[in-house]
Amino acid sequence: MPHKSASNPSVNDATHTLSNQPPTPPELHAPSADTAAANGLINCLVCQHLSHATPSINSTQGLNDSQQRCSRCDSALSSRTQNSVQTTLGLLITSMLLYIPANLYPIMRTQLLGETQDSTIIGGIILFIQHQSYFVAAVIFVASVMVPLAKMFALAWLCYSATRPTHIRQYELTRLYRITEFIGKWSMVDIFVVAILVALIQMGGIMSVTAGFAASAFAAVVMLTMISAHQFDTRILWDKLEPE
Amino acid sequence: MTGTGSSIGSKRTEHLHACAQCDLLVEIPAIIPHRTNVYCPRCHYNIALGHNNAKQHVLALAITALLLMVIACSFDFISFSANGQLRTISLFQTSAELFVQGYFVISILVAAFMFVLPAAYLILLCLIILNSHTGSSDQSSNLSGGLLSSVTMGKWMSYILPWTMSEVFLIGVLVALIKVISMADITLQTSFWAYVIFAPLFTYITSVVDAHRLWGWIDNAA
Repeated sequence: MPHKSASNPSVNDATHTLSNQPPTPPELHAPSADTAAANGLINCLVCQHLSHATPSINSTQGLNDSQQRCSRCDSALSSRTQNSVQTTLGLLITSMLLYIPANLYPIMRTQLLGETQDSTIIGGIILFIQHQSYFVAAVIFVASVMVPLAKMFALAWLCYSATRPTHIRQYELTRLYRITEFIGKWSMVDIFVVAILVALIQMGGIMSVTAGFAASAFAAVVMLTMISAHQFDTRILWDKLEPE
Repeated sequence: MTGTGSSIGSKRTEHLHACAQCDLLVEIPAIIPHRTNVYCPRCHYNIALGHNNAKQHVLALAITALLLMVIACSFDFISFSANGQLRTISLFQTSAELFVQGYFVISILVAAFMFVLPAAYLILLCLIILNSHTGSSDQSSNLSGGLLSSVTMGKWMSYILPWTMSEVFLIGVLVALIKVISMADITLQTSFWAYVIFAPLFTYITSVVDAHRLWGWIDNAA
């Protein structure tokens, strides 16, 4: 059986090479589901157009569709996003590292009658709780602390599941992915709040607000986790579906 | 629902659709009942939404949203008065002030996410719908003057869409207002109200224009 995967340039081989697993015989997977890949078709992720896969010379390295382009929109086609887990993890680790300065440095600097006060993300939340503004504190806490952390854990969990050979819960993981993708941009709320306060509160010496370094770091965290989530290909989870 | 072996060998793939999230082949019905979603039978991904008159509906809403955007740009956004001093800002000052302080990257990102990309999305959407109305294969007769084909515009729209954050910006404005409302008098100006209507409208438009429908219009135009 194993000798077949080296010589047979079919789409199934490419999908299993991508998931970092030893190539499994395609006979096990092809009949289990009527997927585009099993039928020699490639779905374009930009325009949802189905193209027929054309096998090329590089098929044994799992790069057999890297050169093919969509017949409708001319985007680069690949049956599964290439090196999806590696790209997702790389961006995820970068954003995790950037999340540290985003919390340590001040996101906003308030000058009130000559007094300068720096506030970090957590410091701002504590300030609101002390001022009994529980609603604002909750919004900032959810958007700036809970959502980014939840997103990072969710992506790490998805990457871990994608590298396991079998017995993963595809449906639940796909739902987790959809939630991760949906909440992605809502972390930007904090950046927008800073931008509006900076624009609004400019009273010269009496009261003025400037942005801090953490704002840049936090914007980078949000954007990197968004790209990271976008790079994750849920179809590699469904490729591991056990045949019934 | 799923495709059968007979349709795969042939070139007939118009109604055959692969789920973007699990790659299952799905046969999309030619007519989807009004306001009904088509879900992937395996992973429940929302593939398409039925709408009886989506083209006119979306075009009207997109033009409305663009007009609201013109209003949001031309008037004042919020006035803020404290200690006898009055400060009035426009929508663009929310990003311009960051630029003045030297935060160039965030300033550009804020302007892009809250205004430039949503506006670009709507303009491209209007051009695609109008191109599909003329239905001419001659690119030079299209409204974009032959510079951009509908296909190129459709690709741009799919790249832009994840980065449009008008609804997030609106929540940001509300949170910022709650923050400052105790320390100063706030007056909400015309531009603010225009943006309050614009943001949910934009979100609604993006929910009606799914990839299946958008590329159907682009196929009509090409």
